[in-house]
Amino acid sequence: MLVPIFTLKLNHKINPRMVAVGKYDGTHPCLTAATQAGKVFIHNPHARSQRFSTNRLVQSSHDSDISLLNINQNVSCLTAGVLDPQLGCDSLIVGTQTNLLAYDVHNNSDLFFKEIADGANAVVLGSLGEIPSPLAIIGGNCALQGFDCRGNDVFWTVTGDNVRSLALCDFNGDGKKELLVGSEDFDIRVFKEDEIVAEMTETETITAMCPMYASRFGYALSNGTVGVYERMSRYWRIKSKNLAMSIHAFDLNSDGVCELITGWSNGKVDARSDRTGEVIFKDNFSSSIAGVVEGDYRMDGKTQLICCSVDGEVRGYLPSSQETAGSLMDTSVEQELVRELSQKKQNLLLELKNYQENSKQGELRLQVSDPDGQMGVIPANTQLQTALSVNMGSDLQPAHVELSISTSNDTIIRAVLIFAEGIFEGESHVVHPSAQHLTGRIRVPICPPKDVPVDLHIKAFVGYRSSVQFHVFELTRQLPRFSMYVLGNPATTPEPSSHVTFTINERVQRVVLWLNQNFLLPEDTEVQSAPFQICFTSLRDSGTLLLNMKPNGEITLRTDDVDLAGDIIQSMATFLAIEDLPVEANFPKYFDQLRKVLGKVDDSHSVHQKLTADMADQSNLIRSMLVQAEDSRLMRDMKNMKNRYTELYDLNKDLINRYKIRCNNHTELLNNLKCVNQAIQRAGRLRVGKPKAQVITACRDAIRSNNINALFRIMRVGATPS
Amino acid sequence: MELQLNRVDYLQVGVTAQKTMRLLPASGRRATQKVVIGDQDGVVTCFGIKKSEAVPVFKTLPGQKISRLELGGAIGTVQEKIFVASGSEVRGFTKRGKQFLSFETNLTESIRAMHVSGSDLFLCASYIYNHYCDCKDQHYYLSGDKISDVLCLPVEKLEKITPILACQDRVLRILEGSDLVYDVEVPGPPSVLALNDGDGGSSGEELLYGTSDGKIGLIHIARDSPVPKWEIFNEKKRGGLYVYANTANVYIDRFIILGFMCLVGILCIDNFDIMGDGVKDILVGRDDGTVEVYGFDSAGDPVLRYDHTLTESVTSIQGGCVGKEGYDEIVLSTYSGWVSGLTTEPTHREAGPGQELKMSQEMQTKITSLRAELEQLQFKVVQERERYQHSSQSTTAVSAVPVFSINDKFTLNKDDASYSLILEVQMAIDNVLIQSDVPVDLLDVDKNSAVVSFSGCDSEPNGNFLLATYRCQANTTRLELKIRSIEGQYGTLQAYVTPRIQPKTCQVRQYQIKPLSLHQRSHVFDQDRPMNVLSLTGQFSFAEIHSWMVFCLPEVPEKPPVGEDVVFYFQNTFLDTQLECSYRKGEGVFKSDNISTISILKDVLSKEATKRKINLNISYDINEDSVGHTLTMIHPKLEYQLLLAKKVHLIDALKELQVHEGNTNFLIPEYRCILEEAEKLQDEYKKQPAHLERLYGMITDLFIDKFKFKGTNVKSKVPLLLEILDNYDQSTLMTFFDTQ
Repeated sequence: MLVPIFTLKLNHKINPRMVAVGKYDGTHPCLTAATQAGKVFIHNPHARSQRFSTNRLVQSSHDSDISLLNINQNVSCLTAGVLDPQLGCDSLIVGTQTNLLAYDVHNNSDLFFKEIADGANAVVLGSLGEIPSPLAIIGGNCALQGFDCRGNDVFWTVTGDNVRSLALCDFNGDGKKELLVGSEDFDIRVFKEDEIVAEMTETETITAMCPMYASRFGYALSNGTVGVYERMSRYWRIKSKNLAMSIHAFDLNSDGVCELITGWSNGKVDARSDRTGEVIFKDNFSSSIAGVVEGDYRMDGKTQLICCSVDGEVRGYLPSSQETAGSLMDTSVEQELVRELSQKKQNLLLELKNYQENSKQGELRLQVSDPDGQMGVIPANTQLQTALSVNMGSDLQPAHVELSISTSNDTIIRAVLIFAEGIFEGESHVVHPSAQHLTGRIRVPICPPKDVPVDLHIKAFVGYRSSVQFHVFELTRQLPRFSMYVLGNPATTPEPSSHVTFTINERVQRVVLWLNQNFLLPEDTEVQSAPFQICFTSLRDSGTLLLNMKPNGEITLRTDDVDLAGDIIQSMATFLAIEDLPVEANFPKYFDQLRKVLGKVDDSHSVHQKLTADMADQSNLIRSMLVQAEDSRLMRDMKNMKNRYTELYDLNKDLINRYKIRCNNHTELLNNLKCVNQAIQRAGRLRVGKPKAQVITACRDAIRSNNINALFRIMRVGATPS
Repeated sequence: MELQLNRVDYLQVGVTAQKTMRLLPASGRRATQKVVIGDQDGVVTCFGIKKSEAVPVFKTLPGQKISRLELGGAIGTVQEKIFVASGSEVRGFTKRGKQFLSFETNLTESIRAMHVSGSDLFLCASYIYNHYCDCKDQHYYLSGDKISDVLCLPVEKLEKITPILACQDRVLRILEGSDLVYDVEVPGPPSVLALNDGDGGSSGEELLYGTSDGKIGLIHIARDSPVPKWEIFNEKKRGGLYVYANTANVYIDRFIILGFMCLVGILCIDNFDIMGDGVKDILVGRDDGTVEVYGFDSAGDPVLRYDHTLTESVTSIQGGCVGKEGYDEIVLSTYSGWVSGLTTEPTHREAGPGQELKMSQEMQTKITSLRAELEQLQFKVVQERERYQHSSQSTTAVSAVPVFSINDKFTLNKDDASYSLILEVQMAIDNVLIQSDVPVDLLDVDKNSAVVSFSGCDSEPNGNFLLATYRCQANTTRLELKIRSIEGQYGTLQAYVTPRIQPKTCQVRQYQIKPLSLHQRSHVFDQDRPMNVLSLTGQFSFAEIHSWMVFCLPEVPEKPPVGEDVVFYFQNTFLDTQLECSYRKGEGVFKSDNISTISILKDVLSKEATKRKINLNISYDINEDSVGHTLTMIHPKLEYQLLLAKKVHLIDALKELQVHEGNTNFLIPEYRCILEEAEKLQDEYKKQPAHLERLYGMITDLFIDKFKFKGTNVKSKVPLLLEILDNYDQSTLMTFFDTQ
């Protein structure tokens, strides 16, 4: 049984996921965390004699171990570590929605203070790929930026959506760190510097990631899932009704392999084996966990696991020694094993009893043939058939994919449970017809919101009308990726103005096979020889998708939806194992939109500047007015004083109004910047491999140099290698 | 003194009912006792423990479900004869397993409770109590509500037979012969009875009871009247139990308990000196798997000394010595048939190094033999499975899987006016589907680890208002849910339980959400409150109107009571308003101080009567004062909730100030107080989600109902009312109700 070796009650709230341990003087570890009211506290129990007394750092008056750092803005992320190797000690990195601060706590000086338009939702510190100096990498609205110790942004790229979590991990085993990015579009992307080397789609927003060892890493989702990936493949995952607040890799049982430590929103901390996900240790806090970190907090040469709750409770755990390994839990292993085996035995016995009773019933029923239904007796040859088709919808119902489930005889389906991720509100969808409407066939409308392949785990309760016990039929069907597109007639549908063109070295049959696997085609499309053309209509917005293949392998995709084009190219490239694919693209409508957005960004910038200048003017005015008012008061000229203060009040109101305008302007700017970032990401997604990375870098350069025409040219024809 | 107990599992039998395991008294030189247990497969198993291995003494053949198992014997001798009740039959076995008695009773229903004393046998079916002496019928009593347990005060001490029935309508009935001497009201529906100290104390008249809502009490059953001694309320909070004792001089602060109490029924009670301090402690087993030991402090009040939580309900409990000589232990049986011990014997980790090796060797052999057994079973199962698969090819074969047993409980929790649904299955649960055709709220239960997912549902045409799935974690055999209903909206809640076993089946259980779902039976009625009266007359029988009552209100016995007329009292658990129902053939009178209650009754009763084509004459007498009265009753609750919400709202801002200024000296005392109590306030706020909305809803109903009786529809004024509630002030609200 592992018990905490130290427990601290820090009288400060801790913001979730904003906890770090840093040695700011090079030797003494300090627990650092963001707290309420835009402050960061630093708990330094080892260097009590030292006193900081400067503008930023304020000694907390009622707790001498704690110093408070005033950020004056809500902190959105925080980390500590070596940023400047020459400094010889750790630096503190604090990100807010608009700024990034790198701070040298020991010398009480800023390393740099940067304004960041895209905000900082997550931060990670370390070396990335071939870049020599350590970087503070922040993830904001679709953008990733890396700063070195002097505040130069030496790394910049974009990703699909708002970044929520970052981690550095040697993903491909080349000895250099890759950047893992988890974002709100449920994707984990792996960046080898600014090239995407892998992309995994999860089922919810990725809220946390941590490297385990080598190419293995842990992740947590906002629906309560935690799990471990080994490169592209998921090792295991578990789901809880609570949320994983923080995850960390730590070797708690001293077996040489890190376990995944998870801090949950209900105050539970558990350690799970990296291979199986089996719980080897757990403990409970009275409130939600804010962060899990490690450090040698007792300064005795041993690293402890440190868990912090949002209420400021901190517990440190020492890894168990080699001898007691394997018995971190309260109950002894043998007892547990015996219980488990007995449970298994009991289950098998029950199953055996089920079969025996079944055959007994079978004999009985040969004599009495009337089905009473109570026990849920059904013919043994009952089968469940499922079919997926596209329903064009009616006035009452929008178009959808229809899953039809039916039994093969007179039995009825009482209810259908479908467990699938990402396509329903929760993890499951239930169809439970009322007693009058029970039949042997149930139709389930499905509208997947995203184009991802989904496994539908279907459980159908089959029996008779009066049954209290039903047979459960379990089966799994896969919903193809592009199931929301129905085959249309190319002659009648209008041709979209936008298109992408690329050439592949593949036989037509392979492309047809890909079509069959990824679309819901009414019957297998007969193998055609190139050239062929196929037309689809989207069930979501009735947009058209035209796919054209010429004999020389040139494929033209006509659609107005950039994302769809990107999805199709990526899916095709994976299926046909294409490594590099340059693409020519033309999306006139989308490009027009983007041009407008870019214009708005410029406008917003100028408005912003104007407003800032105005504000400076007005604050000068206020100052002078205040002086005048106070003068009047001293001269007992009450009437004048009153007037002045009324004017001041009006001015203040005006100022507040302007501030609101500024806020709105800023939100608009942020949204537009996000659009721009997404556009670059989309342009990248239309390509595969090297051309993809080149397009992103080139676009970025074009934006930096404010060369909008170049930007559109790159998006159209790809980057010309310099 | 800290009590250290270690859990040891002995054996698993079939599913067990309440009070079906006993320890045989130690005999001869051996100090260890044998365990005898009866399960729902009808098997009685008797075993002892040798070298931590269960050694069977005897085992009977399967038969009908065993509902009770008791020990008996001639008075004054060792009580070691085993009596088993199953169906309507009582069988007797000697301790060696020889059957000496087979008594087919004249009861038409199956036996639910049994007590044995010398040659007297006390048996209870659902409503009937029967006393037999030497298997000859002696006395008979028909109870007004379901009987859950029966007991007889010790004959050797009192020299007369005093049977006591624990009845569902919250009373203990004390009998003499076939007649009722008196009844005692207890704070909840009693579920189990036990003699204090095992023999009724020095007077032989001290009785312990446990209720299905988790209370334990001691009552002195004197010849003419009862004397309550103490009661224990359970307040389950994270990390520990808080116990409030109610002796003559200790006042229970009900307000503190309110809202925190959790419905954890008591299934078994025993007395045993496990602490070793010379005083018999009380051992309690609850239906959430909690085992508790209460000792006594110097004042004689019970104090919680130890608690341990198992994963399934504890059906029987007894103190004794089974595993190893010299070490006392608490032996318990669980729903799925595990017999386990919580022993004072230290586990091997604290034992000497040599011993540890031996212990683990024993364990090793046990594990190897279990593994071998498993392998054989596995082989057999695979064969059977293939045969089953094969049968699906044939056109004549059928697939029939035996019905598995579900232990379920659907009870109203008085303290937060919500229902708790407990489902327990012998096997691990895979998933549970909850479906309801009335709007209800499903609340989160902390203990529950299952992943819940709400599915979108269309009320038309399928009539679903709630569809939720609970996907359980591995090895979950017990699931607890909390459901909040709205009075006036009635229908059925269904739970489809799928256990993790092949061939997969699921069973559906139905629970009625009654129109007056938040009412609870009570035995007091305050006649001084302003009352609204609803009277019915018509051509209906007593049984008919009784069936309507069963349909409308919880805790009404299904069987029509004996006699010409009947009076029931109810209390609204949320608002504390009351209801009196008195009815007979052709006539029914209902009185309540809450106009909404009367309105709901009127609607439901007329609907029910129309369904059966019975013509009802309905008249009502509405007391205008009652609305004001109900509002005054709601007022303190509403005010408290509003204040609480306000305080909780302030906490964060105040904390920020505290961090900023470093201390709280500059704050006014009121704010300082909020800061000090911050955690408590937040806890309370969290535990009563949507409490305010519920109160608002009830006030709105009250408003609509008041004017419905006057014949005006005021639905259009509701937004105005809500506006007033948002800026709540008692007098404004009162005026609003009066002036409309």
